[in-house]
Amino acid sequence: MFTEVVFFIASLTAPEEIGTSPQSMLWLLPLSAAIAVVYKATKLPKITAVSFLKESAVLFGSIILFVVITALVLHVVAWLISW
Amino acid sequence: MTARLRENQIVLLIFVALLSWFVPGAGYFWLKEKKRAIIVFTAIAITFWLGIYIGSIGVIDPVLAKTWYAAQIINSPMVALLGYVSAGGNFPVYGKPNEIGQIYTSVSGLLNLLCIVNAVHLAHVRWARQSGG
Repeated sequence: MFTEVVFFIASLTAPEEIGTSPQSMLWLLPLSAAIAVVYKATKLPKITAVSFLKESAVLFGSIILFVVITALVLHVVAWLISW
Repeated sequence: MTARLRENQIVLLIFVALLSWFVPGAGYFWLKEKKRAIIVFTAIAITFWLGIYIGSIGVIDPVLAKTWYAAQIINSPMVALLGYVSAGGNFPVYGKPNEIGQIYTSVSGLLNLLCIVNAVHLAHVRWARQSGG
């Protein structure tokens, strides 16, 4: 157990290897989930498991949808410029 | 009497703000909003430490990345300790890990700012109700 803890702390002094591949964009997913969860935790007047999960999921979906639409629009604009 | 009440309210609001800053969610916990406190603490702590895991403690740099540091320090004053260790590029990190690490740690700080403001607002509303204001 102690060895694992030491290895974990040591891993915080060296960065992970993340390339500039399209897959690296997937790192936006956990961040969007955190934003949705914290925002809904501040906004809901009363927190119950069902309503909180539902509201957070809807907001998370909205963020992702907006990001995808923005990416598509930018892609079309880039295509039109380079065409 | 009114001045005394007003003074007490300001002290209470500053106390809640400081509590929320020292430990994310602690302000809510003190206001007996335990579910909210647990959710906020867990989400902010995971986001911050994920950023540190991705980019290393090198993403916290009060010397070479002052603007990012301004957002990161809102997580907790404890971030200053990490900043002291990694200041001036002691743990160099470049490219995507640096970008993603800085974004994660800074966004978690800004989320904590949202929670600090919300907890202070909640404390103000409750205090006003109790004192009949």
